[in-house]
Amino acid sequence: MFKTKFFSWRLLAVLAAFAMIVAACGGDDEAGDDETFTLGVSNTLVGNAWREQMICAIKAEALARGNVDEVVLQNRNTDVAGQIADIQTLISQGVDAIIINPADRSALDDVIAEADAQGIPVISVDAPVTAPEAYFVSNNQVEYGEVGARWLFEALGGEGKVAYMRGLDGHPADTDRDDGWDAALADFPGIEVVYENWTGWDPSVGAQQALEILTTMELDGIWTSGIDYTVVQQFEAAGTDYMPIVGADNNEFVRQLIEMEGLSGAAVSNPPSIGGVGAAVALDILEGKDVAKETLLTPVVLDTTGELEDVYIPDLTAGWSSYMVIEPYVTYTDAQAVIDCKGPGE
Amino acid sequence: MTAVAPDTLAAGTQPAWRRWLRRHGWTVGVWILLLALIVYYSTLIPRFGWFQVASIVNNSTPLVFLAVAQAIIVIAGGIDLGVGGMLVLSSVTAAQLMEGQGFGVTLLIAIAIIAVAAAMNAGVGWIITVSNVPDIVITLGSLYVFQGMALAVLPNPGGGTSEGFRYMFTGSNTGIGSNPWPAAIMMTIAVAGVALWMGKTKGGLSLYAVGSDKTAAYLSGIRAALVKIKAYAIGGGFAALAGLATTAIAGRGNATTVGGNLTLNSVAAIVLGGVALTGGIGSAIAVVPAGIILFFLNPILTAMGVDPHGAQVIQGVLIVFVMAVTGLLEWRRRRRS
Repeated sequence: MFKTKFFSWRLLAVLAAFAMIVAACGGDDEAGDDETFTLGVSNTLVGNAWREQMICAIKAEALARGNVDEVVLQNRNTDVAGQIADIQTLISQGVDAIIINPADRSALDDVIAEADAQGIPVISVDAPVTAPEAYFVSNNQVEYGEVGARWLFEALGGEGKVAYMRGLDGHPADTDRDDGWDAALADFPGIEVVYENWTGWDPSVGAQQALEILTTMELDGIWTSGIDYTVVQQFEAAGTDYMPIVGADNNEFVRQLIEMEGLSGAAVSNPPSIGGVGAAVALDILEGKDVAKETLLTPVVLDTTGELEDVYIPDLTAGWSSYMVIEPYVTYTDAQAVIDCKGPGE
Repeated sequence: MTAVAPDTLAAGTQPAWRRWLRRHGWTVGVWILLLALIVYYSTLIPRFGWFQVASIVNNSTPLVFLAVAQAIIVIAGGIDLGVGGMLVLSSVTAAQLMEGQGFGVTLLIAIAIIAVAAAMNAGVGWIITVSNVPDIVITLGSLYVFQGMALAVLPNPGGGTSEGFRYMFTGSNTGIGSNPWPAAIMMTIAVAGVALWMGKTKGGLSLYAVGSDKTAAYLSGIRAALVKIKAYAIGGGFAALAGLATTAIAGRGNATTVGGNLTLNSVAAIVLGGVALTGGIGSAIAVVPAGIILFFLNPILTAMGVDPHGAQVIQGVLIVFVMAVTGLLEWRRRRRS
């Protein structure tokens, strides 16, 4: 009995020593970075080409600005609860600004307020959040949904059955695009939506759904939330007649529109390099410049061969967009900076 | 005291503290590992204070509860792939029912959800015992069933909960802050309760008996089937608790969260926590630091500047390493005796 007590006492001493070290380390004050900054990035969808290019553009801009010592990535497949934890981790690690691609419109408000209270600006890229403290840098997603839908409905002469292949359920960019879609749909009473589903912005899921649509229903046109080229591939594989299809300015989809006989469609611009603009805005804030709370790009519909050929790069990754140098916002002047995907210190 | 306890005789000349250490060595080791990692982390980041502690404690709560759920079932000789699905189902049901309600009502809803989850998982345990189909097959089914039910309950991410309920699990009405105590107290009460029950009562010890040798347990008068159903029920309750913690952290529910990934994390946590996957060995107390460590690896590796894709590989290697070490220890123990 006595010896058991002795051991617990010794264990207690070890634990106390640890606790004291922890407490001692807690005393450190924030290191004042006058010259260089650290950028934090929270992304909750990996294995997605759009998001990869977004991160590469953030790194490219950080490198080009010359005053960033590190880009800290929290990059994993997770949900809102996971993103809240990831943003807390970035706050914990003392980053100077946080760039997020939000998994939810309002659920991040409290963690963003916390970051702001600790003097860390948060820039929401690609989609809006409701937090009043956040800066918002994005393609106009409502318009993205609307202009593509209008192109499709007009291509069908205002009559017909369409499939509506959405993005990631609950993601604010998806709900914004849905608002735009609804606005366009209201003007075309002859259009019937016979299929509505979420691809999760996963090319393989999109392909699976396309196969399902092809084999089970009669359709006149398809709108996709940027999961486009794998859908076209399914039509090609099945040998079915093409129908008008709307996608994003993904390089492979652009190639299909240029090269494939009988395929008509429209690519609506939604450049992932908006991440670079987000990094530029973050650094402008940190450098004390006057920065607008909102930076919105207007989406462009590309559907004639000339326009499409201008945005096609033969060797680019299938899901990437050629629109990389987003003027006048980014500092890097060559698309190669994004393709290299190297941040400071890499 | 003149009488000598029989196990002292069996252990021969070994001093009491060495026996204690042999029995609880793994538990002590995992706790020390967690403390060491916290100390190490604090040297990697510019500031280490209550915000950082709260961030780690609060956000690891769901995984800790889910790991305890898995531990109870595995110790009783089963394995439940469905716990992740149960977490998601409980979380979205809570978000759906709690939106706009006051604290009292949300608390009642929470208790009801835990009770229903326990009953549903008891049903899973019952199916396993009567059908004699392996646990892994039945619970693979229950994983998909629960995940599907979750999508039916809350087709689109949303819902809500009360501020008081968020405070219970996160120490803050907004789900974020510098107060780790409510989450720590919730974990302590739940885990200490179940650990005491499992270690000190006849009903709890029968879980170990059934887990290590079902036939022997049966021959010594334990109703093995009933014990297993009980383990699944309590595991289901803990999985629901994990779901409630998730809702408190996020402030809403999301049925598209992949339950299977959460299940795999729970299995990884119990392996690190020293629970033998063959059943009969382990402690809920050791699973707590293991769960926290598994969550904590992500911030640590980020602070170390490890590529996020590399982080997953390191987690996997760590699990294999732990399995190898436990296997080696077991082999040595058998050779000695």
